[in-house]
Amino acid sequence: MKYVGIAGVYAYRYTFGALFPATCKYHPSCSQYALDALRRYGLVRGTILAGWRLLRCNPWSHGGVDYAENQRLFR
Amino acid sequence: MIGFLSILGPIEDVLTWALEWFHTTLGLSWAWSIVALTIVVRVLLVPLTVRQIHSMQRMQQYLPEMKAIQKRYKTDRRKQNEELMKFYKEHQINPASSCLPIIPQIPIFFALYFVLRDFDDEIYPEYPGSELDWLNFVPDITANITADWSGYVLLAVYVASQVASTWFMPTQSRGQRIIFLFLPFIFAIFILDPPGGTTFPVGLLIYWMTTNLWTVGQGIVTRGLRAKTPAPPAKRSSRTPSKVERPEDAAAEDVDGGQPPKPGPPRRVKRKKKRGARR
Repeated sequence: MKYVGIAGVYAYRYTFGALFPATCKYHPSCSQYALDALRRYGLVRGTILAGWRLLRCNPWSHGGVDYAENQRLFR
Repeated sequence: MIGFLSILGPIEDVLTWALEWFHTTLGLSWAWSIVALTIVVRVLLVPLTVRQIHSMQRMQQYLPEMKAIQKRYKTDRRKQNEELMKFYKEHQINPASSCLPIIPQIPIFFALYFVLRDFDDEIYPEYPGSELDWLNFVPDITANITADWSGYVLLAVYVASQVASTWFMPTQSRGQRIIFLFLPFIFAIFILDPPGGTTFPVGLLIYWMTTNLWTVGQGIVTRGLRAKTPAPPAKRSSRTPSKVERPEDAAAEDVDGGQPPKPGPPRRVKRKKKRGARR
């Protein structure tokens, strides 16, 4: 099931992702974070984690190092 | 997708309200109301730009440290990235404002599309006989772009303004810049021959043109700001005292750098002392 999500992220990377500057304020980038989260936590929780990360990636946050395995949403 | 469309509802209401307000209270024609609306949107987004410029200015201060980090971890790109991000966070600087810088404008653009598409049915009947033309050459801003020759003129202006605004985008790589330069032409083809019989009202082009021209104007203003700020004068003089001693070099620097030669009085005193000590 989670491969659907992973395929989706890759589809994004090779279409729109190529258009926008590859400068995320977090490390790893949002799409890499999504891939890690999907692989590790499955489709549903991975998608939620990736969505939450996208929301955190806004002009009012300060970015930083943030790996999927260090998430606090699901324990 | 349904979730996305449902959040557009309130935005559509706000846009409709704003357009009606510009039209009735300020007495603007519908086309000028769209221009006014665009300007209001961009003014609301100015704080974001200001933040980004501040961030860039501060980044210039930390450039030596950042270079040091890059050098230290040049064999390990992953580690290098990680350390840079840590450094950014520590000093509250960041080159990127968000993963997708154009996101704030996307919902507005879609909402405006729906508002203008339904303009004839939902707004115009309340204001019968109000003017839909613009600048004496666009007959109807709710009509499809391909309905009149003026639509093609606006489309050309739009593409030109989009290309111009690309020069002021804070993108780093050349490849991206080239893609951004070609994008408006692809948009143009898409607008002229949209799939599924969709129509693009002229009013949307007015929005895009105005927002691009704002980007260009903002870029010109902020480019001036950015050029003035790099390298605080104190650091500069301490690094290159011997160069400034020779007058012809100082003059050459003024010409190509375009920077205001503002050596503060205390520094001048320092330099004289040095010179005296050497003699």
